[in-house]
Amino acid sequence: MVTRKLIGQVTVDEKNEIQMLFERRNGLNELAKILTADNAELYEKLVKDLGETGTKFQAWWDTMGEKYRWESAEGGNWEINFDTCEIYLVTNE
Amino acid sequence: MIGKDNHQNGWLTGQTKSITFIVTKDCQLACKYCYLVGKNSKERMSGEVAKQAIDYIIAHESDFLEESVVWDFIGGEPFLEINLIDQICDYIKIELFKHNHHWFNSFRFVFTTNGINYNSDKVQSFIKKHKSHLNITITIDGTRRKHDLNRIWKTKEMEKGIMPKPEEERGSYDDVVKNIPLYLSQFPNASAKVTISSADISYISESVLHLYSLGIHEVNINCVFEDVWNEGDDLRFEEQLTELADAIIDGGYYKDYACSFFTEHMGKPLDCKLQNQNWCGAGRMLAVDAAGNFYPCTRFAQYSLREKKAWIIGNIHDGIDQNKLRPFLTLDRCTQSNQECIECEVAEGCAWCQGENYDAADTPTVYQRATAICKMHKARVRANNYYWNKLFRKLELEGIAKEEAEKHVKKSNPEIC
Amino acid sequence: MLQYLIILLDDTSYSYCHYSDIKTERRLIGLDTLKRGILFAMKENLNIQFVYPDYELPEAYREVIDSIDHTDIKPSAVSDGADVVVVNGCRSLEQMTVDIGVSYVLRTDKSDLFANYRLIMEVLTQATRVNVVLTDVETFTDDDFAGYKRVLGELSENVEKLYVGGKTPQLNILTDRMMLDRMNNCGAGDNNLTLAPNGKFYVCPAFYMENETNDVGDLDSGLHVKNKQLYKLDHAPLCRICDAWQCKRCVWLNRKTTLEVNTPGHEQCVAAHLERNASRELLSNIRKCATFLPEREEIKEITYLDPFEIKEQW
Repeated sequence: MVTRKLIGQVTVDEKNEIQMLFERRNGLNELAKILTADNAELYEKLVKDLGETGTKFQAWWDTMGEKYRWESAEGGNWEINFDTCEIYLVTNE
Repeated sequence: MIGKDNHQNGWLTGQTKSITFIVTKDCQLACKYCYLVGKNSKERMSGEVAKQAIDYIIAHESDFLEESVVWDFIGGEPFLEINLIDQICDYIKIELFKHNHHWFNSFRFVFTTNGINYNSDKVQSFIKKHKSHLNITITIDGTRRKHDLNRIWKTKEMEKGIMPKPEEERGSYDDVVKNIPLYLSQFPNASAKVTISSADISYISESVLHLYSLGIHEVNINCVFEDVWNEGDDLRFEEQLTELADAIIDGGYYKDYACSFFTEHMGKPLDCKLQNQNWCGAGRMLAVDAAGNFYPCTRFAQYSLREKKAWIIGNIHDGIDQNKLRPFLTLDRCTQSNQECIECEVAEGCAWCQGENYDAADTPTVYQRATAICKMHKARVRANNYYWNKLFRKLELEGIAKEEAEKHVKKSNPEIC
Repeated sequence: MLQYLIILLDDTSYSYCHYSDIKTERRLIGLDTLKRGILFAMKENLNIQFVYPDYELPEAYREVIDSIDHTDIKPSAVSDGADVVVVNGCRSLEQMTVDIGVSYVLRTDKSDLFANYRLIMEVLTQATRVNVVLTDVETFTDDDFAGYKRVLGELSENVEKLYVGGKTPQLNILTDRMMLDRMNNCGAGDNNLTLAPNGKFYVCPAFYMENETNDVGDLDSGLHVKNKQLYKLDHAPLCRICDAWQCKRCVWLNRKTTLEVNTPGHEQCVAAHLERNASRELLSNIRKCATFLPEREEIKEITYLDPFEIKEQW
């Protein structure tokens, strides 16, 4: 059973930052479905961007986790609600 | 620890540009209340026109500074052109990325569909491919008898101007409702769009409840803006909404279901200085048709207009004539309203469509507000007052203070065009 | 409130404004229509302005016209007795005899004005008033605006010398704004309407020239100006907050450029603001030399040339 526990909140600016990365990552993932290696230049740009965006994405969670000292759990993950800026700990029990 | 995001809520909060592709003027249905007077099966957008429109928009990034963009596909029935739409969506993604356009971080593809083709292989494959950027609304008007009263299949004879006898009309309810479970499995938070006309007022309450029973938690519903209302419609409307209010409150639906008819913020007088904003977004949006012409909104294209000439603001070759947008971007509520509207005690929440204003105006202007909806708005205000008074009292008796009430009520997000 | 009736005496009556002389075939207003137009104006308490073609009118017409106090707007070819004389192009000023007490309307376009604006100065040394009408203002580009600003600057230097020297000729694009304390626009559709040779009323002559079906009534059924509030300043969101008070606020150009009679296009606004700013400079310079219009306030310095740019601040 999945449980969600409210463990903190980020600022609107911080939320905007991760939301933008989230949107970009979705865009890149979908683009990967339609771009082929034939379009070498663009394909290379996409691969590079996917890597960079993924790194920034994880860096945000690392930085925020450090900053706010959020509770964590083995096998769990953090989730953000973009409407409320709230952070949840999601675990599978 | 891995971070995740609540995808369903993912959308930036800044200003959003709406860009509409009128991909076809054809539809399988011939809904009796449809404002599109010039539907036809001939005017279909070509891939080349769509590409040129996208090229123009992307090349003029400084004219489109909104943080986000909604690429809206409209018809007729947009899913009739699913192959073209798929090409357009691919092209948009590639070009936004190629040009490092700021919209690559914030875009959606939006559809309002009659839902008939929803389960087709092509539409399903499209949904799978573009899922994280899709927002689809299926129009289903409610119960079978309400839906089938207006939303009927088009016949070949209709194209020749021969209308079927009432007993020969074929409703589309079954063809749409069969796709709702699939739709909700793919978009659990999806809403339904419902239109009210004079003929189906008596079925409003049962229809909203029916949609809830299908698993649709948000019903966006509105009366048509055209001058179609008959004597006594307002009273029947008020009665229906009051009945609906009782059902929603007594049945406890308000906790998890929303209906856009009921909103806390409506029915108060408005100040001409502090509350003078235009209601409609025409001019802040952009529509493009098969001929490559640009419009301030799809409602200004010729197929939407009964009386007036299309309001063309440019085309894909020459670009947008900014002068043709100035009237929209300087339009305010009071300048276009008559004295009765300005002084109206229940003005708040009274909507208008700039295209209908233009079409119904005495001269070719967007500065004359159509008031055909007046008595229906007033009826809605009375029912809305009843709804909130009853709900607040119920919550109060349950020990929930008025200030806390909103946490216990699902809000609707009425779409404002 | 309606105050003026403009009567076009012929389809070839000279344009004294932005619109072109499109109609080339003579169609003299019927004598009976003319009499009824005058009667209408008398009963409605309107001042009449007659707009003439470039040929002499029959005697019977002259008698009818003289039966009422009026203003005559005539082309230079038949300018005897005119209150306002219309000339096309700066070069026409060269051969013109200037009459004191007569106002001159100079219809010019950008290429003519930029090349020949000095001719205006010569006329101003003799004339009481010159009205410059830019017939192609809606086509102005940024380069054209730069050119117009330069022309206004040079004209201003000369006007300043005349004023400091004791002469006070009026040049609409430079001196009107100094003299005004509120909007003073064309007023078509609001304080004036036009009667055309076909016996029908129009918002202004341009609407008639463009399409005869643009009428807003006729002598038989009276006036039917629909949405007449849109011709008033308080129903023009851009103009009601603007202080380029000398602007013509041409409703015909408005409709041509923006499709709305109450909304000016960018070009009309920028041209009017360049004039406003040039007037500001002129007023300031004259005041450095002498006491001038002491009851008028300074014209404020502003940072925009089109009120549309600051619409978020309204």
